[in-house]
Amino acid sequence: MATILLIEPDLPLAKTYMRAFAQAGHAVHHATMAQQAIDLADVAMPDVVVLELQLPAHSGIEFLYEFHSYAEWQGVPVVINTLLPPQELSDVAQTLREALSVHAMHYKPQASLRLLLRSINDALVANAASKKAVT
Amino acid sequence: MLDGGQNFAGDMQLLQSIAEQLKMPLTAIARQAELGECGANISALDFRAVGEQANTALTLVDNYLLGLRLAVGQEILALEPVSAASVLADVAHELDGFAKRYAVPLEVHIAGKYEPVMANRKALRAALTSLGYELIAAQAAQCEAADTGFASAMGTAKNTESIGQDAANAAPKPLRASLILASHRTAHGIVAGVYGDYAMLSAPRWRKALALRGRAHQPFAALSASSAAGLFVADTLLQAMTAQLRVGRYHHQQGMAATLQPSRQLQLV
Repeated sequence: MATILLIEPDLPLAKTYMRAFAQAGHAVHHATMAQQAIDLADVAMPDVVVLELQLPAHSGIEFLYEFHSYAEWQGVPVVINTLLPPQELSDVAQTLREALSVHAMHYKPQASLRLLLRSINDALVANAASKKAVT
Repeated sequence: MLDGGQNFAGDMQLLQSIAEQLKMPLTAIARQAELGECGANISALDFRAVGEQANTALTLVDNYLLGLRLAVGQEILALEPVSAASVLADVAHELDGFAKRYAVPLEVHIAGKYEPVMANRKALRAALTSLGYELIAAQAAQCEAADTGFASAMGTAKNTESIGQDAANAAPKPLRASLILASHRTAHGIVAGVYGDYAMLSAPRWRKALALRGRAHQPFAALSASSAAGLFVADTLLQAMTAQLRVGRYHHQQGMAATLQPSRQLQLV
């Protein structure tokens, strides 16, 4: 069980994701915008972030840079689940993975709930393993 | 719209914008279906949500096709005296379920009595409906209180499943800011529009959005996370009636509106 910070601007879709995550035994906190997500991360202390890049006002990329600038959140894995087509992220994929703790990137229309949950679990396992290796 | 091929590129951009926009409701429906397949406790509320998502998508397509038919002459745009207030009331009724789904209260404000406007009722209703869908989703995403009713209910590990299901089954708690469908008179005519809590909405940003239509995934990022196709469809329909969608203010709220010309016909009777 983990605490997930879900950043998803569409409320009904967010509700579906939250139900799926809750069914899988996770605690879920939801934000619709980047600034709100930063504020919520302070309270929620997420173990993993599920992020849509297309957000109102400030983009998900801006959120990632802001989130990653805080030392306490640098190790928190991020699973991107976005409407942006994968080919538009290919140039930045390496940067996202290496510099911004992005564990996986999914194209939302094609990413099933099952796939997303698997990604979340993989991110949590990988993060736990890397923490163990450090200690 | 299509005009001897000259605006074909513009029309393709609108089509692209609509295609992008349709990803969201279709994704939402697919994920709901998957949740149901996984044995989740699907309530009547969820089936209604799926229906509303589908209807939103269908309405967007229908309104786009109406604009297209008007542009190419397949349908005649007959202008007639139309009560803006009654159109707004109809639109509010159509948007009601969707607004509840997004926990955005709707209000209809009609300021004073004035004559009907010269418009095509069907096109005006379609334009304001498309506008309304777009602004409801935008308002819900931007409202500060969007987190309540969900995150706060999903707390501790041991209670996650039951609390999560209860929270997920409950309708979202109403957010603070209402969306106002309003008409009022100005020196230029009768203004009919949709207004809300959009701090970053401005005329330059709207003009930039029009330029980015179909070329950017988020042409109107200040307002919306989507491709804002509903706004562009509304604008196209209004332009067919020689009106134009623009940023407007109503009391202390900002929104999108169109100025329509009053009908003189009844004054002569």
